[in-house]
Amino acid sequence: MAASGVSAPTRTEVLHLYRSLLRVARQFCDYNIREYTKRRTVDAIRDNKNLTDPSQLAAAFFDGKAQLEVAKRQALVYSLYAPKVKSIMDIIPS
Amino acid sequence: MASSTALSFNFSTLSTHFKQNQAPLRGICNVNSVSLPSRGIRPGSFRRLRVSCAAKPQTLDKVCGIVRKQLALPADSSITGESKFTALGADSLDTVEIVMGLEEEFGISVEEENAQNIVTVQDAADLIEKLVEQKAA
Repeated sequence: MAASGVSAPTRTEVLHLYRSLLRVARQFCDYNIREYTKRRTVDAIRDNKNLTDPSQLAAAFFDGKAQLEVAKRQALVYSLYAPKVKSIMDIIPS
Repeated sequence: MASSTALSFNFSTLSTHFKQNQAPLRGICNVNSVSLPSRGIRPGSFRRLRVSCAAKPQTLDKVCGIVRKQLALPADSSITGESKFTALGADSLDTVEIVMGLEEEFGISVEEENAQNIVTVQDAADLIEKLVEQKAA
């Protein structure tokens, strides 16, 4: 198992991670992936809201950071091949 | 329109009343009665003159709407500028989501420290006004 020296994240760090995840979600060009990322971060953060054990907190925080990296990379990759036709949900009725 | 004429009517009666009294008071009252009619009055603008660096009412309304939707409050619950987010039942996660919603609605980007200092609805509206001005400048 991981070393016991890993410290739990502070409240501000967790909120910063939450904000970063939501910002990355906004960068996706695909409507479906964007909505999924937003939904998933909200659900995951709220699920782990009441953890108190430091090792669980550290593990969840580490997971969140890894997912943030994945999301950043994927947002970049998707933007390289963005579809020319926008999804119907993105078109605001005028 | 009717309310603006009512306002000017009140001030003219006040000025006639004060003319009977001392001169300094009449001076002050005249200044008041001149400034208001020349502005082409809406009662909202009169209120805005009093409060320094207040946000526009439309901004405040939009902010209240977003807060209400995020916290799933019923439509008749009162949200004023002075309501604190914690008093409305929002925890820090809700506050983050509300700030994100506001960023999207107004097309601005709120910094980390600024976001943590938002306590009341009025704070959020003022911050939005400032950022929108900076962006437009």
